[in-house]
Amino acid sequence: MDNLWIVFMTGLTAGGLSCLAVQGGLLTSSLAYQVESDLTARGIKPENHANPRFALPIILFLSAKLAAYSLLGALLGALGSVFQLTPLMRAILLFVIGIFMVGNALRMLNIHPVFRYFSFEPPAFLSRYIRRKARNTTGWFTPLFLGTLTIFIPCGITQSMMALAISSGDPVAGAAILFSFTLGASPVFFAVAYFAAQLGSRLERWFIRIVAIVLLVLGILSIDSGLNLAGSPISLSRLARLIAPQSPAAAFNPQPLFPQDPFQPALPATEDPAPIPTQGANSLVLAALNNGYSPEELIAPANQAIMLSVITKNTLSCSRAFVIPSLQVEEFLPQTGTVVIQIPPQESGTVIQFTCSMGMYTGEIRFQ
Amino acid sequence: MIIQRIFHVNDMECSACAMRLEGLEDILPGVTQIKASYHRQRLEIIFDDTVLSEEQFLQAVESLGYHAQAQ
Repeated sequence: MDNLWIVFMTGLTAGGLSCLAVQGGLLTSSLAYQVESDLTARGIKPENHANPRFALPIILFLSAKLAAYSLLGALLGALGSVFQLTPLMRAILLFVIGIFMVGNALRMLNIHPVFRYFSFEPPAFLSRYIRRKARNTTGWFTPLFLGTLTIFIPCGITQSMMALAISSGDPVAGAAILFSFTLGASPVFFAVAYFAAQLGSRLERWFIRIVAIVLLVLGILSIDSGLNLAGSPISLSRLARLIAPQSPAAAFNPQPLFPQDPFQPALPATEDPAPIPTQGANSLVLAALNNGYSPEELIAPANQAIMLSVITKNTLSCSRAFVIPSLQVEEFLPQTGTVVIQIPPQESGTVIQFTCSMGMYTGEIRFQ
Repeated sequence: MIIQRIFHVNDMECSACAMRLEGLEDILPGVTQIKASYHRQRLEIIFDDTVLSEEQFLQAVESLGYHAQAQ
């Protein structure tokens, strides 16, 4: 999985704060209560936070959480391999997750009481069971048990990562996604649990607002990705292209699409025996780069079949998963190489959108 | 006598607040059940008023940082 680093960073930034908002309230306080009572029973002052034994139960809690989520990721990946999601299904999933995240952000910002319904309330029996277990058990069992139980109260961003694990369609990739995300979320969670006693309500509210804003941005991006992946003519990315259009690369333009080398020069070239195709009257060339597609706008002649050559060169990002939603084209491009896609004749004025499988990188072909 | 009271708590900020308030049933004597809903900002308690008074319950709610008003 090429994007595990991004997943890890999502966990480290937004995920940690989001987990804090959802799981922190009950689990961190239960854990802190447990830790403090354990330490008090042993005659160690709870305010002695430098004592390494204070950190141990939190580490156990986070380790159990990490193991539980990795296992969950493997299960979701296996589920995804049985029910392979189509681009449209992924688009709907991204859209719904985006709405959920935006709704949660608006709830946290107290915009309107109706947004409270975006918060998942665990069934009373489950919260009662968790609470009583937290109080009645001692030793190593409690943090391990509570860490495992966090899979039942995933935060909004965790839920999107769970959806990503399903869409990977592979148990190992699914486990790796949730492992990376949970690992990334751990430092913030650890810090907050560790300093829970000092974290006053004012600071907590400040944290909640940051979480809400991060969630809002990620939610809007998720909705936008869903729209892109569904081939919607309306999306933020397309709006941005309208506001700041690139100079389109016309099929009739004798200039090559790649000014010099559009690929990252720092990466060493691997095997690339095939010559880069040139652009002709009914052939287009598109570069799938690590940071998107180049050019983002192509011009093609109408009423003619077109050969679209999509070229990769040491491309590692999700731009390799190339999708043309309206033509039901989905190609997983090699790290380095060329894939030719036949596009049937289109009427003048038709615009065909293309995107990566996550709806992050987009572009379009205009027929004239 | 076992009685039921319903309160409005408009300062619950998330589901964890509801769970926190429900946790009072493990601490307070005479409580049969506490149900809290963040969605409806509602707190429902079934308790024995010969063991626990309503005022004591409201004080316990306030000690957690919330304000309950009888419905």
